Amino acid sequence: MLEMKPKPAAAPLPVKGKETRIRVLSLLVEDGQNTLTKVSGVIRRRGFHVRGISVGPSRQPGRSRITLQIDHGHAEADQVRKQLERLVEVVEVEDLTGDEVHSRELIVAKVAASELEALLQRGAKVLSTGPDGTTVEFSGDADEVGDFVNELARHGIVEVVRSGPVVMRRTE
Amino acid sequence: MILEALEREGVEYIFGYPGGANLPIYQHLPEHPNLKHILVRHEQGAAHMADGYARASGKPGVVFATSGPGALNLVTGLCTAYMDSVPMIAITGQVVSTQVGRDAFQESDVIGATSSVTKHSYLVTRIDQLPRVIHEAFHIATTGRPGPVLIDICKDVQQADAERITPQYLDLPGYKLNGHVNLDQARQAAQALAGAERPVILAGHGVLLSHAERELMQLSEAAAAPVGTTLLGIGAFPVKHPLSLHMTGFMGTGWCLKAVQNADVLMMVGMRVDDRVTAKLSEFAPNVKTFIHVDIDESEMGKNVRPHIELVADARLALEAMLPHVGKVQADRGNWLAQIDEWREEHPLRYRHSNGQLQPQDVLIDMYRRAKSEAIVVADVGQNQIWAALWWNYDRPGLFINSGGSGTMGFALPAAIGAKFGRPDLPVWCVAGEGGFVMTAQELSVAVEHQLDVKIVLLNNFSLGMVRQFQDDFYGGVRSQVDLTHMPDFVKLCEAYGLPALRVEKFEDIAPSFDAAERTKGPFLIDFRIDPEANVYPIVPLGKGLNEFREAPEYA
Ligand SMILES: Cc1ncc(C[n+]2csc(CCOP(=O)(O)OP(=O)(O)O)c2C)c(N)n1
Ligand SMILES: [Mg+2]
Repeated sequence: MLEMKPKPAAAPLPVKGKETRIRVLSLLVEDGQNTLTKVSGVIRRRGFHVRGISVGPSRQPGRSRITLQIDHGHAEADQVRKQLERLVEVVEVEDLTGDEVHSRELIVAKVAASELEALLQRGAKVLSTGPDGTTVEFSGDADEVGDFVNELARHGIVEVVRSGPVVMRRTE
Repeated sequence: MILEALEREGVEYIFGYPGGANLPIYQHLPEHPNLKHILVRHEQGAAHMADGYARASGKPGVVFATSGPGALNLVTGLCTAYMDSVPMIAITGQVVSTQVGRDAFQESDVIGATSSVTKHSYLVTRIDQLPRVIHEAFHIATTGRPGPVLIDICKDVQQADAERITPQYLDLPGYKLNGHVNLDQARQAAQALAGAERPVILAGHGVLLSHAERELMQLSEAAAAPVGTTLLGIGAFPVKHPLSLHMTGFMGTGWCLKAVQNADVLMMVGMRVDDRVTAKLSEFAPNVKTFIHVDIDESEMGKNVRPHIELVADARLALEAMLPHVGKVQADRGNWLAQIDEWREEHPLRYRHSNGQLQPQDVLIDMYRRAKSEAIVVADVGQNQIWAALWWNYDRPGLFINSGGSGTMGFALPAAIGAKFGRPDLPVWCVAGEGGFVMTAQELSVAVEHQLDVKIVLLNNFSLGMVRQFQDDFYGGVRSQVDLTHMPDFVKLCEAYGLPALRVEKFEDIAPSFDAAERTKGPFLIDFRIDPEANVYPIVPLGKGLNEFREAPEYA
């Protein structure tokens, strides 16, 4: 989870047919002490830049799923995938850039206000209430989460954390 | 158990250095007389020896070092092997597993420090991991695009008793080997080459690694396409072949560079196409309509030059698959080859032989006359390296060894020692500048201890010659920190180490000194005091395109 200040600059999700330096990749990796270091080492060494990341277990035991939004910098766009494929720890790389996807981010926020109608209308869920504020959660795509954060600002943000994206290809 | 596993993998030599964190391994070493351990004088030397051994023999080199400083001393050697795709296994001792992370004595994060210069690495904290890890490490180091693999083994694991866990399976779902060829692309590539008006083939280290020299020659002859090699590809194509362009790159031959810059189809085989090959990227091969790239590593495709036809495959298999599709070659290929011959005459390799000083080229030419093509030359880095590359007519693979990708000064002496262990049947010559030589000169002891027949040709120009030349030509002529007049008397230094040596200052003394070297069994050094102003030509000024190469002046 990336801790974020209010008014976050949401990484723009690439749109089909539009020039972008952001690649969206879904990696299946072997769990191991060194895997995340190796993945991030390649990203650093090749001059790429992480714009979003989320890591969690996969359905296969001993393997995790890493979702990455990466700025490929001055390198050829497909280098990100090729360089990650070279790692022995990386079992599979799927490039989802420009594809029709479900991309979801999660946000958990504590606000001072008790009047939460506008947030609830957007689909936020109350997790807890206390004397010092209310904690809500919300999930959506990058734009929705960005808008939600703007809305939060009007309610007096006490604290907010936002996840990286999890992305899955749409199959209708 | 480690040592048994190494025996199972067919290891013959280990280059290593003991210390606190690998003592359990050394305790059991005498029980394994099949494993010959070479005690080096510095761990960097061990890595370069294993590297030279691997390049000369084709078998993976094996290195031992202790934790902390021992392992970190390997880093330069690992990087050298990594950049040049050399198979190597480095086994380092690590502190006891329960101490890891506590800044124990001589603990360092070896995996972290070496991740970017190894193909893969393992930290072993449990004995049951060990047999699989060692087996996998050899597999990874030697297959696909080869490279160094490091195994960091905690001391308690080295000491652990294990029931013998025998033959091992590989568990590497994420390790992808790009072996086979896309036949459709092979056909397209062959047709593009045959249909070209002005084709050029460039061959890199991958051709040597996959033993594709024969297929390369067949393809070149069938398509009447001339071949240049990279610095690391030297030997992939005989220099004296009529279709040879000799070496390409920013210190390549004038006729090769002209051919590359005028080619309409350029096929690059088993190479990374790095900046030393392209010079200014935007001006590289500007007339090419079809770039063909063959390499086993997919990430090389488009990393620097975007190919129109790409073959992610083993070079030999790819060239083999192309051969049947070459068919009829473009009619006026003769014009192109005649044009190249003209360039060959216009831009010959030349040097000054008239100023009374000893010229490095004279030394190398005499050396070649003696050695023919029956010797291995291991060069260091700097002017000496490029002279050794250009002034020998390598016509067989595997005879020229140097640190091309990393450019590691100090490589030559230990690598030559390793090469001699790997190929005791061949004479081994080490060509080095005095600057690089003193960086690892302590390994002379190893050559003396094992009475290795390694002949050292020191091209002593009293300076960091290559840097001096760059300063003269590209940095305003300011000679800054390149003077090496304060160096040991190399003949006395050799005496101290226990090997014979000669100093040569005059042309007439070249031949007798080589005679003496050849008569002597064991190591021998000749300190050639060469013209301190001798330069490497041709050379492309930094940041310029390949066609702007500067040539040696026409000496009177
Ligand atoms: C370890 C290392 N340090 C610095 C350099 C930069 N460098 C490249 S060539 C060179 C000069 C080498 O001098 P010498 O060994 O005497 O060879 P010469 O060029 O004179 O033949 C230097 C300093 C390098 N390649 N490797
Ligand atoms: Mg020198």
